[in-house]
Formats: sequence, structure tokens, C-alpha cells
Amino acid sequence: MDNIELEPKSESAEVKRIRTKKINPADLLFVLINSLILSFAVAITLYPILNTLALSFNDGLDALRGGIYLIPRKFSLKNYETIFNTNHLRIAAVNSVLRTAIAATMHLAVTALLSYVLSVKEFVFKKPVSLFFVLTMYVNAGLIPTFLLFRELRLTNTFWVYVIPGIVAAFNLLVLRTYMNSLPDSYRESAQIDGANHITIFIKIIAPICKPVFATIALFIAVYHWSSWFDNMIYNPRNGNLTTLQYELMKLMSSVTSQTSSNSAYGKSTQSVAITPTSIRAAATMVTSMPIVVLYPFLQRYFITGLTIGGVKE
Amino acid sequence: MLIERVAGFSDNGHPLLMKGSVAAVTDEKENNSFSAEADSADDIAAKNKADAIKRRELAYTYRSNLAPGNATDEDPGEPLSRAEKRRRKAERSAEPKVKLNKKTLWRQKELIIITIPFILYGFLFYYIPLGGWVMAFQKYKPQNGLFGSEWVGLSVFERILNDKSFQLVFRNTLAMGIINLVLSFAFAIGFALLLNEVRLRRPKKFVQTVSYLPHFLSWIIVVGIIRDMLSMDHGIVNEILVNLGIFDGPVNFFSKPSWFWWIVGFSNVWKETGWNSIIYLAAITAINPEMYEAASLDGAGRFGKMWHVTLPGIRPTIFILLLINLGNVLNVGFEVQYLLTNGIVKSVSETIDIWVLYWGIGQGDFSIGTAAGIFKSVIAIILIFLANGAAKAAGEERLF
Amino acid sequence: MKKKLTRLIAVLLAVTLLSGLAAGCENLGKAKVKKFDMFIAMPGTELNEGNRAQAEITKITGVEVKETWLTGQSAEEAIGVMVAAKDYPDFIEASDGYQIMVDAGALIPIDKYWDKYPNIKNYLSEEQWNMCRKADGHIYAIPQFGIVNEKDVSPIHNDEAWWIQTRVLKWAGYPQVETLDEYFQLIEDYAAANPKHTDGTNVIPYTILCDDWRYFCLENPPLFLQGSPNDGSVIVDPDTQKVIDYNTTPIAKQYFMKLNEEFKKGMIDPEFFSQSYDEYITKISTGRVLGFVDQFWNWGYTAQDAIKAAGLNDCTYVPLGIVAEAGIEERYHNEPVLDVSGGLSITTSCKDIDGAMKFISDLLTQEVLTLRFWGIKDVDYKVGDDGLFYRTEEMRANAIDANYKADNLCPYAYFPQYEGMNLDGKNAWRPDNQPSEFFEDLLPEVKECLEAYGAETYVEMLNPSVPNSPWFPMWSFSNDLTPETPGGLAWAKMSEIKHEWLPRVVMAEDFEAEWSAYLDKYYGEADIDAFLAEMQAEVDRRIAVAAGN
Repeated sequence: MDNIELEPKSESAEVKRIRTKKINPADLLFVLINSLILSFAVAITLYPILNTLALSFNDGLDALRGGIYLIPRKFSLKNYETIFNTNHLRIAAVNSVLRTAIAATMHLAVTALLSYVLSVKEFVFKKPVSLFFVLTMYVNAGLIPTFLLFRELRLTNTFWVYVIPGIVAAFNLLVLRTYMNSLPDSYRESAQIDGANHITIFIKIIAPICKPVFATIALFIAVYHWSSWFDNMIYNPRNGNLTTLQYELMKLMSSVTSQTSSNSAYGKSTQSVAITPTSIRAAATMVTSMPIVVLYPFLQRYFITGLTIGGVKE
Repeated sequence: MLIERVAGFSDNGHPLLMKGSVAAVTDEKENNSFSAEADSADDIAAKNKADAIKRRELAYTYRSNLAPGNATDEDPGEPLSRAEKRRRKAERSAEPKVKLNKKTLWRQKELIIITIPFILYGFLFYYIPLGGWVMAFQKYKPQNGLFGSEWVGLSVFERILNDKSFQLVFRNTLAMGIINLVLSFAFAIGFALLLNEVRLRRPKKFVQTVSYLPHFLSWIIVVGIIRDMLSMDHGIVNEILVNLGIFDGPVNFFSKPSWFWWIVGFSNVWKETGWNSIIYLAAITAINPEMYEAASLDGAGRFGKMWHVTLPGIRPTIFILLLINLGNVLNVGFEVQYLLTNGIVKSVSETIDIWVLYWGIGQGDFSIGTAAGIFKSVIAIILIFLANGAAKAAGEERLF
Repeated sequence: MKKKLTRLIAVLLAVTLLSGLAAGCENLGKAKVKKFDMFIAMPGTELNEGNRAQAEITKITGVEVKETWLTGQSAEEAIGVMVAAKDYPDFIEASDGYQIMVDAGALIPIDKYWDKYPNIKNYLSEEQWNMCRKADGHIYAIPQFGIVNEKDVSPIHNDEAWWIQTRVLKWAGYPQVETLDEYFQLIEDYAAANPKHTDGTNVIPYTILCDDWRYFCLENPPLFLQGSPNDGSVIVDPDTQKVIDYNTTPIAKQYFMKLNEEFKKGMIDPEFFSQSYDEYITKISTGRVLGFVDQFWNWGYTAQDAIKAAGLNDCTYVPLGIVAEAGIEERYHNEPVLDVSGGLSITTSCKDIDGAMKFISDLLTQEVLTLRFWGIKDVDYKVGDDGLFYRTEEMRANAIDANYKADNLCPYAYFPQYEGMNLDGKNAWRPDNQPSEFFEDLLPEVKECLEAYGAETYVEMLNPSVPNSPWFPMWSFSNDLTPETPGGLAWAKMSEIKHEWLPRVVMAEDFEAEWSAYLDKYYGEADIDAFLAEMQAEVDRRIAVAAGN
């Protein structure tokens, strides 16, 4: 019922009047069914998260026995302690934040500029340039040639190897271009008629309207960089100052098996000190996803504002 | 004209735009040569016409999206909508007619200059390493390097394509790729549409935040949970189905080869629906609110608006993602299949990537991995060219 | 907002640069310590900075080694990238990438440098070193494992056995259980009398792990049932020295028929073929499973501990050496295996080969060996009046705490070491092999069970080991087979077919029909003879090498 009264402010008064006057029973049914479906979706997606959370706070050996659902059975902070005892933790966290922040801003800015160029309908090289980047999505040179290139470019064993490759990701490019294409051409064209150059149009007119899609792409880039570790391992494996959080966690997780295997396996004294792959994985998942979960609400408002742009009133 | 629009916008809270436009106006004075570019009289006339069309389009788009049966009251709508459709299709598929000559190049010099660094970058980082593809034509040994390894021509490809087990994994990969594609599109779009209909801010934010969280769980965690739920031994799915009398006794879901692809498909849906829907939610923000108003005036209900305004509104995004993912149809990965498989369903669960892991990486054979990669690239490129052509013919958004 | 972001980035950048500088200065301060780096192509635990035992070892040797481990890659891949870039760490344990390194000329010949270091030269016998030589006659890697000083004193059986819960044996009055039939009869009887586990769920009489490469739990018991030692891929007849394929012997058929029979009786976990390794460990950890076949290292260090942590003291397992028929001598326990297929190497990137050799040599002195495996005196262990090492309860708990280990213990585990006894002849090389430590910790339920069979340790539940044959173990050869040879291709195919068909055989309605379908497939699609021929050639080669040819 509430739903009906709480219209987005942007809808015109007239529409509001019409809507509040007659509450369509079909709409009511729709809202009801919709709520049901979404509640179900929430329930089944929330469960694995809560389960992982519970596991992360549970004693590792105890968790091996299974049967933990939403509440830890034998509470323990050991998993988190182990994670926070990781080598170079501080520098790793700084590097991770740094690469995520730099990549998200730089890659977004650069990709957005190119996608603007490709959204200009009369641009003569639109098609070949698009194809040039589209193909990059489907071809992959493999590990060794890429490594050799980066070494030749003196990127290995530097921080820049995290942010220089992959500046223009074709996927992001296409999503941005599609969004820009779906904006009325009149925005750009009128500015052009008024003599603005493309950089100005991009920065002053197109970019502000594209906030929702920028937020989306920034999120994609940030998540990708936040969770990357393979480049760290391949290009900077032995430099502690260039390590990242995810790489440290990966190392920790892949080592857990060998840690448990050197425990005393026959003694009485194995009292809740062992961590297991499952428990450490759960805690690492929480540590990894939390920053992004915290970041999300800030980006989220751009998706929810919807329905406020595109209002070309003439 | 610009100023008008600025006024319109500032109401909607875009102060930046206002400043920007003023700057744009100043730019005009300083940059005469550029404003000279501002087109012949013909162009302006065409533009005005286009604007007029656009405006008309807004009013009609909604109606044209209605199924004939639904378009009730003001019914010139039906025949007109068909005409509208044809016109829009023509408009979309029409290439802007620009001739490639000196004059055009000069007029578009700014765009070209911006593009050049991108091309250089792309060439350096994406195309030069492709030299490594020669490995597929060699018996590559790291110790001999790319130039010192023995050349074997197409024999690696022959070996792959004639291998019975490769044909099997190709079939599996393709099947799972298609199932995943269809399911993940249907669910992500459906979810975005439904979520968009939630009008209460807090629940909406909550649902959205929850929905994308599983993206951060690794496959190994997700598979563990799926196995728990499908387990014969007190798995919740078996318990429900047995209690409802659908099954006589607990069923081992992983013993049925014909179910395996679907289990993988729905595992994907579970993990990625929320994440995939983010893009659609962003796209929905670009829909012109006037369309909803028009729909309301026509008496459309909530469902009607969702179906006839929101869904068509995100159509370009849907198409572009569809095209992109069509090329990725063979990239179904290996993790989830590897973690869910067992001896009995192995013949349906192995993917190209698992095959490469086993025969290539696991044995240190880089040539076979590269050759399989090239094979996948070629298929992907053929697919996207076909799909792009189809999209062009249909007047939909396309890749290039 | 953008400004703020820019500023944030600037600050972060500054922090990184500064911390980089700070680290640089630190290095200058400790200029005397030689630093080496090492890559181990296996997963493992990195030491934390400032590790206490590592610092002690550095005090003695003047060297600090930074170890990095394999993460999320195959060994070949990691080594392949290194070789392509010609950029190596100083020390390397290349594991499966060893041959690639040798072929690339990336390793230095140890035997050229060892004259000054008797600790290294005398680490193995002449014959053993000969087994390590490559085609050019040089030695590029020092084996680290299976070099036993005096005698092997491990109280636990780390390898394959038929495991059974002590409560089952106790319930039956500790009977002698020798044959396949007796084993399953006992489990059936117990399950019939005690269908419920302590938590109210049904007991699982018997389960079989079939997950990926761990499906050896299903496929290799015929080898042991025949009384052969764990050669892995084949049986080698000790008299004729001919290889035999164990997959289709009459004993194999008897074994699978038995499993089929038990499956039909409901004694075998219906999910056995589809369970993942994690699920299997979970099942065993609950204490519901009465028995199974497995290698101890595959389940014991997690599940056995979990059972104990839950206080289910009568649900832990002891090993049984089951054979097909009474009268066959079982060979489940064998002496530690000297693995000559690789080891610790020094690469051509190492700038100070003598320094590296000296470090390896220093690591083999008793002082450093004790630091590596026992820790620091009075912190990690104590010395009794009789010279025997022992640990307090707290020290024992520390030694299995992952954080404590990363901060305080430094085994340098992939450097050469002696197993068995310390060079003092008094203590075991590692706490968990020390008899006093073992008995201190033994559960009373297990002690009672062991005593009932006249055993003191787990190992004594099985026949004592006999000296290994010169070809033993053949798995160290079959593990390295690649599909490039016909035999290697057949080996891969065999495993594929067995993995799919053996579970079907166990679950078959009509065992005979399924078994012959399996045999058709097995002989039809895999070139078994090619595989056996390559195995035979290797047996002959090993016999010849051992004989000094």
C-alpha cells in the first residue's frame, strides 16, 4: 500500500493525481508478486553470505564437522587473527587501495573519453576503431608473451604494472558507448552548433549525464583491481613493497593445507588452534568483500536517482 | 537553444552542466575555426528535423511498444506504430553519410587526435603480444624460446581437432555456454526490471546490496553450498522434494548426466544475477521519464510500464551485452565444472578449459594451450561478425 | 570531490614511496647478512618478517633466505615463465619443472662445487648420488626427503591402510581382522547393532573417496590386497622382476565384487562417487564413518584432529593391513622413500654460489637442524636431565598454531635434512617422531586398542617395513609420464576410463555384465601393453643403476 503513495518526486503532478485516485488492483497484485519474488531472491542470496560469515567466526576444526548454518557453533577469532597476521599487511593494503583508486579513476576517465569519441555518429573511423578494441576481448596472447612484453617495457617489478595494462577494456568501452548512444543526440549536437569542442562537450555535458553508468563502470574496474592477485604474482613476486592484499591472502590460503598437515595428528592437545582451508577462506572472503560492500552504497545512489535525467523540455 | 536547455537542466540539479555550458558558449567565441565547422545550413536543417522527429518519437515509442491488443483508446496508434517502427529502424541502421576525404578528416581532426594514442596503446598492449601465437605452430619449449623452438606447422591443431575427447569437450562447452547465456540474461534482466519497480528506497537499496554480494564469493564456496543443498544426506532440496512427494526418496543430483549442465547454469544464475543486473539498472536511468508519463496517461499499469517502457528502454544495452557475450560463449571456464564433477558425469562436465588444463598446462605443453586459445578466438570472432551483421540488419545496437 | 580524491591519491603515493625508501635503508643497516631468495614450486607457508628461529639461523650462518611458494599455478607454468624470461631466484625447488630447468641450463652442477663442503658430499652415499646424476653426469639437485639417519622412528603410519574406528574393534572384543571378508563382516555387524551415531544420525559403514586424482582410494587397494608394497601404478613381481597390471587381476575382480555386494547391502555411502574431497573430510570428521581406505596424510591431519577436538575419543581410527586371503603377507608400511627425481637446486642467477653452498652445508649441522625442526631451546622445547628433548603443553600448542609458526619457527623445509634420529643419536629429528612426545599425547582409547593388538604405536599395527627394492617406488616414474609417449598416453586413458567405470562397477545391478563392459572399454581404448612396456623398461633401468652400471 505504501508503495502506491510513495511516488518518485520526479513524476509530474498530473501523473500523481491519476495514480493516487485509482489504485489499480492489477498494480496491487503486481506489487505483491514482485515483493514475493524479490524476498525469495534475497533469502537465497543472503544465505550463502551469512553462512560464510558464520563459518569465518567459527573454529576451523570444529567447522570441518559441518552443520553450521547461520550461527557459529564454536566461536573463534582465529581465522581473522591469522589473516591480520599476514606479512606486509599494511603495505599490501596501501598498495591495493592505491591501485584500485588509480585504476578506477584513470581507466574510467580514459575509457569514457574514447567511448564518447566512438559515440559521435559521424566520426569516420568509428567502425574500424570499435572493431580494433572489440577484437581485444576475444584474443589472448597467453602468459609468456605478455610477460616478455612487460619486461621489455620495464613494467615488471614496478607498481605501474598494476595500472598501465588494461587501461581500455573493450567491455567497459562498449557499455559506456551504448549508454552515450542512448542519450538524445540533441545534447551533443546543439553544443556543437554552439561551437564547443569535443573535449568540452565530453567534460561539461556528456560526463555529468553519464554519472550512473560511470558509477557502474568505476565499480567494475574497482572490483577487478581490488580482487586481482595474478599480476602481482607473475610480475612482482619477490618484492615485498609491491605486494597487494589479495596476493597475500592467496598465498595464505594456498598454504593452509600445508599448515594443517604439519599438525600433530595423534595428540590430545589439538584444542582449537588449527585453521582449515574452509575457515580461512570464509574469513578471507569477508575481508575481501567488505571494502567493496562499504563502497557500494556511495555508488548506489547514482543508480537509484534514475528518472531524473533525459528531461529535454523544449 | 543551449541556454534554454541549461535552464531546464539546472532545475534537475546539474550545476556543473550549467557552468559547463557557459564555458561552451565562451569557447565558441574563441574558437572560430571550430564553430565554422558548425555545419552548413543543410546540416542545421537536418538537425532540426531530427530533433522534431525525436520529440515525436518520444510520444510514440511507448505506444509502439504496446502489443496490438493492448493499444486501446487512441487507436491511430496501431497502424502508425508500425510505420513508426519502420522509420526508426531505417533511422538506426542508416550510417551517417560521411565521406572519407580530406575535408572530413580535417573537420574531425580533434576526434582523430584523441583516438591516436588509444590505437597506439591498443596495438602495444593487445596486439604485439599476439606474436606469441606462433607457439601454436611450434613444439614450444620455454628453454628454447619463441625463436628457437621447433616448427611443426598445423600439427597441433590437427591433433586437437582430431581428438575425440576434444570434440566432446567442445560440445559440452558450447552447450553450457548457451545455457548460461540464456539463463543469465533472462534472470539479470528480469531482476533489474523487478527491482526497478520497488518504490521504497530502503528495501530497494537493501535488495540490491544483497543481490550482488554472491559475486564476491569464490566458486569453491558457492559450490560447497550448492552441494550442501543438493546433498542426499539432509540436503534441503531433497528434503523438500521428498516431503512434497515429488521424489520417492533422496536423489543424487550429481549422478544424472542430463542434469549437470542445468546445475551449472543455475549456479551461475545464483552467483551472478545481482551483479549482472547492475548494468541494466544503470541503463534504466537513461530512460526518458516522459515515456512513463505518456504510458500513465494511456492508463498503463505498473506491469504495463515495465514491459512496454522500461524493457524497450534498455534494449540497446541488452543487445550490446548479448553481442559481447555471444563471442564469449565458449568461455565457460573450468572452476565450477571441475568442482562439481565426478567420474560418472565426466563425459558431460569437461570443458575446453579443463581439457587444456589437463593436456596442456598440467603437462607443461604451452603449444596446445595456445592452439586451443586461438581456436576459441577464431570461433568467437566468427560469431561476433555474424551477430553484428544480424544486429545491423535488424537495426539494433551493434559492436562496431 | 575530485580534488579530495586527487589529494588522497597523492598522499597514498607518498606513503608507498616513503615505505619503499624505509625498506631500502633497512637493508643498508644489515649489510653483513647475505640475502638469498628461493622459489619452491609447491604450495607452502611464507615466514613472517622477523621470524625468531630464522634470525637465530642467520646469526649462525650469516645468511637469510626469503622463500616464496607456488600460488594458483602449476609448477611447469611458473617455471616456464621464469625460463622464458631467464630470470631465476638463487635457490629453487622446481618440482615438476625440474627437467625444464635442467634443459634450459638454468642450474649449476652441485658436484663441481662440493669438494669444500663435506657435509653436502657425504649427505648421500656414492650410489645414491649416482641415481641423481643427469645424462651429462652432473648433479643439479640435492634430494631433501627420505634421508634417514640411523633408523626411522615415526610412530604414525602416514601411508595407505584400511582404517577402522577403535569403537568398532572394541565392540567386537578386538578380534584379529586380516582379510577383506573379515573387515566388511565386522563393519556390517557393528552397523547392524549400532545403527545410530552419537549425534543421532545414521552411521555410514564405509565410504570411498573418488574425487579427481584422489580416487586412488577406490582403485589401488587390489595392489595392497595382493601383498605388494605401494609401487603405485603397477605391481612388480619381486621374483621375476616383471611388471603386472593390478587393475584386472582376479584379486581386483574379487575386491570390486565385494564392494558391489556391500553396496547392494547398503553398507557403502550412496554418495561415494560424487562426494567432493571437502565433503568426505566433513563426513569423517563427524565420526559417522566406520571405515575406509586412504593414505593417512590425505585425511588424518584434518579429520582425525577434528574428531578429537569434538571429544569423540572412541571414533578415531587405527590402521589395518587387510589382504585378499589369509596367508598373504601385507606390505602397507614401507621405509621412507628417497626421491631422486628433483630437489634443491642453485640457479645460474645466483651471484654467490660458494655462499649458497656454505649455507646448505651449515644447515646440515646438528645445531642448525635442531633450530630448524625443534625450534629454540627453552622457548620451543626443553632438555631433560637425560638429554631427551621434551615440550610443555604450551609449547605443543604453539607448535601447531599457524600464527606462532609464521612468526617463530623456520624449518627451511625444502633444504636438505636428516630424518629418523638426530646426529646425537638420542632424539628424533622432529618432535612428532619423538616417542616420549607421542606417548604423552596418546588418547586412552587408542592406547587400549593398540595394546590389545600388542602394539605401542600406529606403525606397529602393521607388518614392519622391509628394505625397499631398487626399483621402488614406481609411482615416481609414472607420475612423470606425459602423453607424448604411447605409454604415457595409455596411462592417462586408463585413469580416465577407471575413473568413470569403477564407480559404475561398484553400483552395478549386474556385476558380471558391468565388469566385462569395463574390461572391454579398458582393453579397447587404452594401449595397456605400451604402458607396461615403458614401466618394465624403467624397472630394468633402475635395477641396472642400482647395480652400478
